[in-house]
Amino acid sequence: MTLNTEMQMPPTQINPLEEDTNTKPFSIWQDSFGRMMKNKLVVISLVLIIILLFMAIFGPYITPYDYLAQDLTKRNESPSAMHWLGTDQLGRDVFSRVIYGARTASLVSLLVVFLSSLIGLVVGSIAGYVGGKVDFVLMWITDLIMAFPYLILGVVISVSLRPPLTEWMEDRFLATGNPIFRQTSFVDVFIVIIVITSTAWPPYARLVRSQVMMVRGQNYVTAARALGLSQMKIVRKYIIPNSIGPVIVQMSAGLGSAMLTESALSFLGIGIRPPIPSWGNMIQDGLLVWRTAPHLLVAPAVVLGLMTVAFSFLGDGLNDALNPKQWK
Amino acid sequence: MIERKTILTVENLYKQFQVRLGAFGENKGTVHAVDGVDFDILRGETLGLVGESGCGKSTVGYTILQLYRATSGKIWYDGKDLTQLSDKQLRPLRQKIQMIFQDPYSTLNPRMTIGEALAEPILEHQTVPEKEVIPRVVELLGDAGLSSKCMDRYPHEFSGGQRQRICIVRALACNPEFIVCDEPISALDVSVQAQIINLLQDLQEKYNLTYLFIAHDLSVVKHISNRVAVMYLGKMAELGPKDLIFNNPMHPYTKALLQAIPIPNPHIEKSRTRELLTGDIPSALNPPAGCHFHTRCSHATDLCSQETPRWKQLPDGRMIACHLAVE
Ligand SMILES: Nc1ncnc2c1ncn2[C@@H]1O[C@H](COP(=O)(O)OP(=O)(O)O)[C@@H](O)[C@H]1O
Ligand SMILES: [Mg+2]
Repeated sequence: MTLNTEMQMPPTQINPLEEDTNTKPFSIWQDSFGRMMKNKLVVISLVLIIILLFMAIFGPYITPYDYLAQDLTKRNESPSAMHWLGTDQLGRDVFSRVIYGARTASLVSLLVVFLSSLIGLVVGSIAGYVGGKVDFVLMWITDLIMAFPYLILGVVISVSLRPPLTEWMEDRFLATGNPIFRQTSFVDVFIVIIVITSTAWPPYARLVRSQVMMVRGQNYVTAARALGLSQMKIVRKYIIPNSIGPVIVQMSAGLGSAMLTESALSFLGIGIRPPIPSWGNMIQDGLLVWRTAPHLLVAPAVVLGLMTVAFSFLGDGLNDALNPKQWK
Repeated sequence: MIERKTILTVENLYKQFQVRLGAFGENKGTVHAVDGVDFDILRGETLGLVGESGCGKSTVGYTILQLYRATSGKIWYDGKDLTQLSDKQLRPLRQKIQMIFQDPYSTLNPRMTIGEALAEPILEHQTVPEKEVIPRVVELLGDAGLSSKCMDRYPHEFSGGQRQRICIVRALACNPEFIVCDEPISALDVSVQAQIINLLQDLQEKYNLTYLFIAHDLSVVKHISNRVAVMYLGKMAELGPKDLIFNNPMHPYTKALLQAIPIPNPHIEKSRTRELLTGDIPSALNPPAGCHFHTRCSHATDLCSQETPRWKQLPDGRMIACHLAVE
């Protein structure tokens, strides 16, 4: 085409290396990780969390005492070289029990967060992607559950589920003789997970929905449709990777709050029940004797508090690191 | 002029959006975004589509690609009416028709490397054997003026102009023959606009492409188009060969648009008579009866406010919708 127009176009000058000589390849995730590590509180939180996970996995194998071993000659002893965090009313080693409590807390909170984010992901992405009446109904249910107090739900579920489940376990034990069915703590853990999950998923659903609505309006999704990609591929390669950031943040904070809720339920006697240690039921035990043996209350409470704060700081750190607005 | 065959025909196309109005969405309204449009696009040409913002240009583009489903009308491509095809039937045809969007910043998936983004269309439509995918991606990057090192980078590491070049070659990756360019340079810095235009022209030559080039700026269209279509409030006002439209416009709206372009020579600029556009563009929610342009046209008669002008062909070959134009 000839340039006989008023608007003269200067000749193309595209330098292949223009502007791209000083940046080296790196992935967005590595980049986010690097930025996160600059925040001291986040690093401390991460260290605490790693210690917690280590305790949860290996704790029972490395503790000096068995968490159930009683020594009635040493009740409510103060911390000493033999018992770092003292002993409880039945003469059990508190340090070993706190460490076992980490296992309970981690197991419950990981499963709760996994399940509730999964439910939230499914409900939220359907609501956000399909929209219309489906969205309206799903969000109505979500809001209803979100408004429901978890303690009431906890009592209701616990009271209605525990007897039949316990009975079923006994039946199975009698039928099979398998000692695994004598572990009534499984029933407790199961019920706690159900209770917390059923009230923990709505915020994930809301979050995922708003993320999906935001992402699906982006040009890159339109361009993907113009390419003829299937809905499944668009959701998998475009919608989920771009909406997952805030969900990860929420999951981190959710781990902390699930631990707190598990402790609250166990404290009230509708969660994990003794003799299986949970920080919540240890705090409750400690409360009875807090004047004479305050360490029984302080030890689990401090660990619980630290973990909740650590997860919340990690969430904040992730939030800053994953926020696309901070990308240059 | 070279005789060209038609590649795509748009027939009596309507696209309406149902919207809710008022603070609480208490009222419903219908946006007449595209309000009966007919035109065809010839193989190998660039058809420029101009009009003020909000007149429905993008909607025409989106509807051609079936990203919006037409309210009524037909879009003929390759002997098929695209509006009648299901998503599944459309999938193979999508290889042939692609789009370049206005905003390159949001057109690339931030979580995909450039290499992945360019390979995706190739793999999806299997335009080359598997082991030639990477060489093809490198070739495309070369077309965009970027080195193969860019493959592992993410979109946020590139400037707006570079991103638009990437978007352009990505649209080309599946070997399309027709591309809708929706204001591809209006979101970019003036200094890189010419680059993009030149790239589009080079690629058109290299790959025998047909463009529908949407712009709100006549000067860009003048540079790149073979024919120009002018749209006003969801309807076509005038369409014809570029020289005819620019040198001898007949529709009062085309004249007004042309006179809004400043002329670099101050003597001519001062002495020319102007047909200025007065008033605002009416709302597409409630377009005026008769000729949509009559509320702003200084030549409007009673007929113009009552009867919609036909879309007719003049002896010189142009199409026009104006009561004042004689056949
Ligand atoms: N998805 C949509 N929903 C409702 N109204 C829309 C939608 N897309 C476009 N419109 C309306 O349709 C009209 C034409 O829009 P558009 O095609 O984007 O114009 P242009 O590209 O010429 O600026 C405008 O009034 C716009 O508000
Ligand atoms: Mg537009």
